[in-house]
Amino acid sequence: MLGMNKSLGMVIAICLAGLQFLAVLAVVFSSYISSERALIGHARDLLHDVGVNTIEHSRWFLQPAKDAAELAARLAENQVIVSEDLSQLEQFLFQQLRLASQFSGLYYGAEDGSFVFVMRSPDGPGPFRTKFISTENGARKVELVWRDADFRIVETRRDDADPYDPRTRPWFVRAKDTRETVWTDPYIFYSSQQPGITLSAPVQNTTGEVKGVVGVDIEIGMISHFLARLQIGDRGRALIINRNGDVIAHPLIDLIRTTNVDGTLRFVNIADFDDPVARTAFSAIAAGGGQVGSEAPSEFSYEGEQYVTAILPMPGEILPWTIAVYAPEDDFTAAIKRNRAMNIWIAAAVALVTGLISLALANAIHKPFRDFALRSAMLSRGEIDPNEKLPRTYHELERANAALSEQIVARQRSEAEYLQTFRLAPQGVAHVVPGSGAFIRANERFCAISGYSAGELAHMQLTDLAAPEDLPVWRSVALKDASVAVHRQIRCRRKDGEVIWVSINAILIHGQGQEPLYTVVTMDDITYKKRAEGQIRQLSRELSHLSRGNTMGQMAAGLAHELNQPLTAIAQNADTALHLLGQKPTDVAELNEILSEISQQSLRSGEIIRALRGFIMRDEGARIAFDFGMLLTQTMLLVQAEATEAGVTIETAVPADMPMLEGNRVQVAQVLVNLLRNAIEAMSTGVDTDRLVTVRATAHGRQATIEVEDNGPGISPDITLFTQFDTSKPNGMGLGLSICRSIVEANGGTLIHDDSYVGGARFCFTLPVAREVRDVTEHPETKEHLAEGADAT
Amino acid sequence: MPDSPLTIFLVDDDDAIRSSLSRALKTRGFDVEAHASAFSFLESYGGSRQGCLILDYGMPGMDGLELQARLNELGHELSIIFITGHGGVPESVQAIKGGAVDFLEKPFSQAILIERLEAACAQIRESRQRTADARARLARIDRLTPREREIVDHIVAHPSEISSKAIAARLGVSPRTVDHHRARILEKLGASSLVEVLAMATR
Repeated sequence: MLGMNKSLGMVIAICLAGLQFLAVLAVVFSSYISSERALIGHARDLLHDVGVNTIEHSRWFLQPAKDAAELAARLAENQVIVSEDLSQLEQFLFQQLRLASQFSGLYYGAEDGSFVFVMRSPDGPGPFRTKFISTENGARKVELVWRDADFRIVETRRDDADPYDPRTRPWFVRAKDTRETVWTDPYIFYSSQQPGITLSAPVQNTTGEVKGVVGVDIEIGMISHFLARLQIGDRGRALIINRNGDVIAHPLIDLIRTTNVDGTLRFVNIADFDDPVARTAFSAIAAGGGQVGSEAPSEFSYEGEQYVTAILPMPGEILPWTIAVYAPEDDFTAAIKRNRAMNIWIAAAVALVTGLISLALANAIHKPFRDFALRSAMLSRGEIDPNEKLPRTYHELERANAALSEQIVARQRSEAEYLQTFRLAPQGVAHVVPGSGAFIRANERFCAISGYSAGELAHMQLTDLAAPEDLPVWRSVALKDASVAVHRQIRCRRKDGEVIWVSINAILIHGQGQEPLYTVVTMDDITYKKRAEGQIRQLSRELSHLSRGNTMGQMAAGLAHELNQPLTAIAQNADTALHLLGQKPTDVAELNEILSEISQQSLRSGEIIRALRGFIMRDEGARIAFDFGMLLTQTMLLVQAEATEAGVTIETAVPADMPMLEGNRVQVAQVLVNLLRNAIEAMSTGVDTDRLVTVRATAHGRQATIEVEDNGPGISPDITLFTQFDTSKPNGMGLGLSICRSIVEANGGTLIHDDSYVGGARFCFTLPVAREVRDVTEHPETKEHLAEGADAT
Repeated sequence: MPDSPLTIFLVDDDDAIRSSLSRALKTRGFDVEAHASAFSFLESYGGSRQGCLILDYGMPGMDGLELQARLNELGHELSIIFITGHGGVPESVQAIKGGAVDFLEKPFSQAILIERLEAACAQIRESRQRTADARARLARIDRLTPREREIVDHIVAHPSEISSKAIAARLGVSPRTVDHHRARILEKLGASSLVEVLAMATR
């Protein structure tokens, strides 16, 4: 499998060159194997054919002899030629001899010992010679007659000393015994010293008695000559081996004869044969009785050379011969081997050439892709215009280019938009290196907030902006590995040294492989907001101080202190007076002054006490119409911080058509603050449910009811509400509710604890509805009173 | 100076208190100086005069505790008696820690105030007397000649060698000369024996 990150050109080149190389290799290899095998097979066939040819030739060579002998025998048997008439017989045999050149001689031996023998006589006075042996009147007569080709007598000789008797000869005996045509084993003819074979056929009379035997001598030297003429490769040879292992035919005819010690000639056995290749190949045949049962191709090697052989038995039972053929493989394969070497070179050359062509082709195929890749890379870097025309290329690439260009244009546009957004964002935005916090870029607003220029920031880290107190937090902002966003409000030290409050958001941006790219830090200057928050908190703290540390308690303490002053003066003056009275003479003027001062201070004490009483009743005349909804909203601002801290939600339900109420706004606000705070505190411990305070206002006739309920633990029945110093709050003074009730009653309403409510605690108070509706929001007094209330803290 | 009269300073923002207390103390024979605020007191008081300060705890501007702290800072040693309209344990503890001699809750009996004042004044006088005595002794020692001073130093350093012989041996003079010096020392310091001189010098 080819990896996808390989070059296309490389892939094409490898494919083309590799494939053609493999093809060439396969062809060469297969032809290498198959041609050799085919040639060897062909050589075997050839050898077989040679064997068959040899057999055919031998048959053809021998068959006429058989025909001739058997014809003579038949003729004699049928009295066509009279066997007793030797001259007639001689003429017949002569004719037969003339017909077949392979015959060296034909003869007839009779049972009575007479004998006629026609033979070729190349060395004699005539080309043919006839030997007659006959018995005339008990005397044995041996006559030799030489004739020319026209049967004319050339010379006649007598040789009565010749002891030859046909009846003792093997050919006669065997034919007579078997009464069949018989073949002798090949032997070397005595007269011609040529290898030959004799065939004899018995001549029987009508009673089946053997009268004589016709014989034919066939010179088989001709077969050797035939073998010598066969072309079996360059050096291949065929030979014929008799069943006794004698080599009876061989292209080199001289090799098959050897001389016995007694001077006679015989065949050479294959085991001693002077053709070493044949001897090596076929001596096993002699060992196995000189005869093979069937055709047997085989191979062998001699002196490092490989040979193929074929062994064929002569079919039929008459001639127990074996045709053996051998030839060096090289005779057949040398040419092809040379050819093959050349083929390999040609294939290599072809492979080289086609390889180069494939490389060129791969390059040509790949070039548009390469150009496309280069162009794409340049496009993505913005070095060329996406709308620039693509040079001629494939349709597929054109389509890809179109899609790519579109993408790039879209990306460039979105990048431009992002850059624009980044630069002009109303927030300070900076990109920093995750971990180190080194600035990558920062927008104008960021620079404005931090007081540094973009160039200065480029050499700075996020922590360089940290106010020393918040340094650890700043460090954590430059997220290294977190996947969560950071949101913090921390102090930042500007370039000019001023410490400002900033709101910081940081998000780690990941690449597609989840590797962190950079951290986006947005920064807002919240100093003003923070300051305003601080002011509100301060205000609420002060108001809480007022209404919570129970107004009345604090006021009573203040007034009590106030009361101590005149009392002290009175006591001192009285003591002084007493002291003076104990002295003589009494200073009347001094006493007078003292007593008048005592009187003054006593009156002052009375005034203080009146003021104390009047405090609650104060502002009775300042009862005005006000918008309860608005008051509630303002009041909630004062307790919102506490509620948030305690995890309490405050819900309000004021009907839209809520009429104006009448009362002292500040006092009503104090009552509300007190009740809300009680509720929040009651729920601040041990409540698992959603902590909820509901303020509900309803108007009915001339009265409005305001309910403040919570879902806290409720009011323990053991506690008597509205009595001073009874409290369920650990830090409470127990004054709140009683004062609230006093205030509400002073405003013409009532305050009760609704003990029918079981989901928590519910307090209800009533206030009168304003007698005449006035536009309260336009009424300046409203705001003044609220401000006054806050100041009183 | 040892007999210079003690001044009672009174700082209270309340006119009636100032008036009644000033009168009461003057009637009892005290030298009273009243101020309506801590600032006016600090302005007039340079630290030269000794006395007692009756100080209101709660005042607008600089309150009693702050004034006490300021005086301690300046190193002025005044015996302070706090008077307060709403006395609490924490306030009194802080005042006493700051060196106040007493803490009276308004309204208080004049007899108690006078008793505390007199006790404070007595203490001031006693310490003033001690200071004066010490100063007088130092003045007398200053009258000795260097040789006489040497002899006194020797006695202080070696209280076991106060015989004329031993001192003469130590200083390399004749015992007679030592006798002479000793008579002069006793005369100048107004002492009756060298043991008395030793006690005087080491005090």
